[in-house]
Amino acid sequence: MNRFLTIIITLFLLCPVLVFSSERLPRPQKITLDNGLVVYYYQNPELPLVSFRLLIKGAGSAFEPAGLDGLANFTSDMLLKGTSSMTAEQIAEALDFMGARLNFTSSEEYASAGGECLSQFLPRLLQIASDCLTSPAFKEEEYKKELAKKIDTLKAVKDNPAQALRQYFKKAYFGQHPFGHILLGTDSSLEKMSLPQLKKFHAERFRPDNSIMAVVGDVKQNELINILKTTIGRWPKPGTPAPQASVPPLPSLHGQKLVLIDKPDATQSYFALGSPGYAQNDRLAVVASMMNTLWGGRFTSWLNTELRIKRGLTYGAGSSFQSWKTGGLFMASSYTKNDKIGEMLDITFDLLKRARDKGFSPEEVESARNYIVGQFPQSLETNGSKASAYLRLVYYDLGLDYYDRYLAEIDAVRQEDIKQAAVKLLPDKDYTLVIIGKASEIKKLLEKFGRWEEKKITDPDF
Amino acid sequence: MPKKVAAFVLSFFWMITMLQAAFKKEDIKVFHLDNGLKIILYEDHKMPNISYFTFFKVGSRCERPGLTGVSHFIEHMMFNGTEKFRPGEFDRLMEFSGGANNAYTGDDFTAYTDWFPANALEKIVELEADRMQGLLFDPEVLESERGVVASERRMSVENDNEAIIYENVRSTAIMAHPYHWDVIGWMSDILGWRPDEIKQYYQTYYAPNNAVLVVVGDFEATRLLELIKKYYGHISVQPPAPPVITVEPPQLGRKEVIIRKEAQTPSFLLAYHAPACSDSDFFALSILEKPLLQGESSRLYRRLVRDEQLAISVSGGCEEKIDPFLFMIEVKPRPDADLTRIEKIVDEELAKIVEQGLTESEYEKALNIVRSDFYFSLQTNSGKANMLGAMEMLYGSFDRLFTIMDSYLQTKREDIPDIAKKYFNELNKTAGYLVPEGGQP
Repeated sequence: MNRFLTIIITLFLLCPVLVFSSERLPRPQKITLDNGLVVYYYQNPELPLVSFRLLIKGAGSAFEPAGLDGLANFTSDMLLKGTSSMTAEQIAEALDFMGARLNFTSSEEYASAGGECLSQFLPRLLQIASDCLTSPAFKEEEYKKELAKKIDTLKAVKDNPAQALRQYFKKAYFGQHPFGHILLGTDSSLEKMSLPQLKKFHAERFRPDNSIMAVVGDVKQNELINILKTTIGRWPKPGTPAPQASVPPLPSLHGQKLVLIDKPDATQSYFALGSPGYAQNDRLAVVASMMNTLWGGRFTSWLNTELRIKRGLTYGAGSSFQSWKTGGLFMASSYTKNDKIGEMLDITFDLLKRARDKGFSPEEVESARNYIVGQFPQSLETNGSKASAYLRLVYYDLGLDYYDRYLAEIDAVRQEDIKQAAVKLLPDKDYTLVIIGKASEIKKLLEKFGRWEEKKITDPDF
Repeated sequence: MPKKVAAFVLSFFWMITMLQAAFKKEDIKVFHLDNGLKIILYEDHKMPNISYFTFFKVGSRCERPGLTGVSHFIEHMMFNGTEKFRPGEFDRLMEFSGGANNAYTGDDFTAYTDWFPANALEKIVELEADRMQGLLFDPEVLESERGVVASERRMSVENDNEAIIYENVRSTAIMAHPYHWDVIGWMSDILGWRPDEIKQYYQTYYAPNNAVLVVVGDFEATRLLELIKKYYGHISVQPPAPPVITVEPPQLGRKEVIIRKEAQTPSFLLAYHAPACSDSDFFALSILEKPLLQGESSRLYRRLVRDEQLAISVSGGCEEKIDPFLFMIEVKPRPDADLTRIEKIVDEELAKIVEQGLTESEYEKALNIVRSDFYFSLQTNSGKANMLGAMEMLYGSFDRLFTIMDSYLQTKREDIPDIAKKYFNELNKTAGYLVPEGGQP
């Protein structure tokens, strides 16, 4: 039993923000391959391990045609399911044999690959990774198996309220905006999906000239260059120009959107409350991360103090900002026994109001500063986290010197700045609130918050 | 600065890093205080941070009916105030100093894990020493925390079908030994622990002679030791904790749990009694679990997920425990899968291992996985501290970390069938099915 799982998850969500605050990220070497792929590299000989990360712009879920939720992720999943030279089983066997890890996934803006292994196996790992990226087989038989698995996964997600909540929230908050696409897919999108659509998505959007890569670990530069040349360096650059990779601005909210999902067997109710945040390159990032640290971003934050520490209503409560190129999201969430959900929401709204009205004390501001600066180095400790940080800095055009500037900015944040950030970023009248719980028990408690749109967890989609 | 000079300085830095880099037993310093506290220190100056881990030899293994879950509850209370630092002060001061922390309770031991900037060291030593013996157990705070743990149980067990089947299979398979119950404890116990019993339990197990301190990171050992003496030196020794004497009797026949409840998908779990981590058989089982059920190339994944398409995933294996525990095989079935068919396939695959063992390549694969997992776990200061402490708790000495790979290498491939035969048989098995209401098992 861990003392607090939720807070750890929250910290991970915060990473895009936190990652930019240490002077400790060593400067990488930059290697440009003949096919246009740029590779950032840093040698770390401490342990016989190497990690790599690859980011493919414009290949995320935001670029799926409307109604085809999950296409990007499905395409990524298929890359490990066979290539022109290896079957899915051979790939799995080769990776397991090395004790290596290799995964392909997608988020809203981009697709990504990541892997790590014992240094001795790096040539083989990159050979397999590059094979998967450049010549996936997209076999009908494998597609059907994956499809069946995905349909079942959707059912399993609905058995787990915390996981289901994230999907329902995404749909409720983003609506028709492409960020509302569900990475796992939905019952109806999976029904419409077909293998040619996956192939097309891959052919158009997975390209070396739209990708950036980072390698960190126990490998010498000349060795790495040789390995890259014969593996991912052979990924052909298409003759056509790269497809557009920009996302429309995020929706702005007007008024309240309240959604209640009925799960008749739930003994607890789960809520997610969201409102607009800020873009990755926004100057607000520094002060916002300090404000969130104090409001809901750590164990002694206001939210966790009131809901967990003082009242014992829950095991964990937290808030986070998530940022993309064109905007961001603020989200607070927690859960409690069905009969306590009304009280929990009252307290949450009171705390939002208190932060906007009164701000935070000088001592709290100092504490947030110490906390962010003190915690920072560990977030870049592993090879994998360094590689991811390089890609984020490059992808969001923040500059490899971002950390140094960030630290100076953290130092300069004043009490008044944090209050202003609270006024600007914490929701007042405009928000989306989604709850999963036993409707027959909690409906009465929720009436005072407004009109609820009701759904059943057994209804298809989210 | 001219670029070439910078490059030279950089490479010089690298050399220093490389010299410091190798994580060797010789660089670990061990001390004991007069009150029995054992201290394990490893300096690493790559970044200005420290991981400070405190391990206590207490877990749900030390509990009894009526007090189940109390080890985990005390872990929660450790953050709720002492005479010196009132409720909430520990976390407030920790985070104010730039530190963060977590804690976990297992069956065999409890760990308190702090990571913080180097300049917060003395404050953390003071905070940790203080709560080793001065907990307040304020009645109001205690009741509030009881609510938190009850909520944790509701969330992590009662609202989670996988956890429900796990708890049922575990407590059915293990009849007598305290591993019978899970770390969280039974709900009626959580609601019923008496404050005086909780305090007594704390006093017995939270003693310097029942603890090991592991510190890894950017500090100077001599100075740290002085700080430790200053803050921990006065804490008094406690009588040794009572030993756990119950030995699980051999299982005499197949056991079965069938749960019917509302669910969209069924759950499936098998458990076999398995040896303690100090038993040489443990390493053979830990090797064979890899080709059996780890990764998509494993035998069970191929048959159940790929070929027969009865399942979404397969996981499990054996866990390092002080006393004999279980080898688990967890299968996440497809919604309409025939669970008896899944069990039959698992039986067939285990029978193949009992008869023919592993192939040369499977054996080599298992050792590669062991080796890479081992290094992955040592990547961070906290990872190193955690491994050193776990070795102390499970095997009695941190230096087991530097020989454990040998135990794997000494396990011969030829011996695996005989060892597998001892554990994988029907008499030793407990099967758990969770069937969505109205469905067929």
